[in-house]
Amino acid sequence: MGGLFSSKGKDKKTESRVTEQDKAVLQLKQQRDKLKQYQKKINVQIEKDRNVAKQLLHDGKKDKAKLMLRKKKFQESLLEKTDGQLDNIDRMVTDLEFAQIESQVVQGLKVGNESLKKLHQLLSLEDVEKIMDETREGIEYQQEIDDLLSGGLTAQDEDDVLAELDAIVQAEVTDELPEVPDDELPEDKRKDKPRKEKRQAEALAS
Amino acid sequence: MILKQSKPPDNQIQPNSDTRKKQLEAWCSLILNYHKHKKSYSIDVTEILNSQLCHNKEIDRKLSLDGLYTVLDELCRTGHLEWKDPKTKKQCLVMWRSPEEWGNLIYSWILSKSMTNTVCTFYELTNGEDSEGTEFHGLEKWLLLRAIKTLETQQKAEIMMFDDSEGVKFF
Repeated sequence: MGGLFSSKGKDKKTESRVTEQDKAVLQLKQQRDKLKQYQKKINVQIEKDRNVAKQLLHDGKKDKAKLMLRKKKFQESLLEKTDGQLDNIDRMVTDLEFAQIESQVVQGLKVGNESLKKLHQLLSLEDVEKIMDETREGIEYQQEIDDLLSGGLTAQDEDDVLAELDAIVQAEVTDELPEVPDDELPEDKRKDKPRKEKRQAEALAS
Repeated sequence: MILKQSKPPDNQIQPNSDTRKKQLEAWCSLILNYHKHKKSYSIDVTEILNSQLCHNKEIDRKLSLDGLYTVLDELCRTGHLEWKDPKTKKQCLVMWRSPEEWGNLIYSWILSKSMTNTVCTFYELTNGEDSEGTEFHGLEKWLLLRAIKTLETQQKAEIMMFDDSEGVKFF
């Protein structure tokens, strides 16, 4: 029986996503709509007055026509005023909407910052250093195991291996070079300069 | 005004069930298309009975009052019509598009204008300069509210009503 009156069974009404700023924007926009409707009304009146003034002029009633045009002029000044008010309202609406966007951006940054802090708490600088040291130790230990498995060469053995390698390289280089002749070069017996050179010398002299 | 109708429906309600079904479908379609063309959202029984829709003066044929009520009741059954007062049955609201369809049209326009997370007044939606040229421009308030309520159930909008202010926020 108690279940009939308890609120447990009832579905909770979904929480409204409308903010106070939204309400302010709506009120401003309603004011804007009223001004626009007022402008429409004035425009109709202006057109009507203009036509009446035309008709009065046509009928020769110049004074009444002038009066009508004065009324029209006053209506036009009202239109200008409402334009200014509309401009103010539009600016205010834009500012409010942009302020909401800015607020959301700041909120997003705040959430991001908190998440980053939590991540930093999970991994401190000391922890990272400790992990790096352990990694280094692990690598060194692995190197020792590798050395043991590959036959465990001593430092002397390593030197011998390197010396042998040098000898092989040297032998390969020697094999590749051509033999140098040890004969003496013959003397140059030509004493006279060639004719061509003689002719050139004569030409220069003259 | 000429409405494209291959054959005008008979003025006398047919007794044969199959013929009657076809006849009612034709009349319902004609009434909905007529009001869609005129962008009208309400029907006055007396007015419509004497209009060009139910009274063809050229051949002097007229749909009877009983016949008209039969057609209107059929429209009511299909969900395209609602009596303002079911007792008197003098005036009714006609929906040539369902509220869901109107809601989808409005929401598509909101998306195209990138106006989600924006507050709109009802006047702005149906009489504003921005909505000129859209199908829902000039939509009557009662139907607009129903359309927005369908969006509200889909959590695409929320109706705002406080003090003298009425509007909607889209999501």
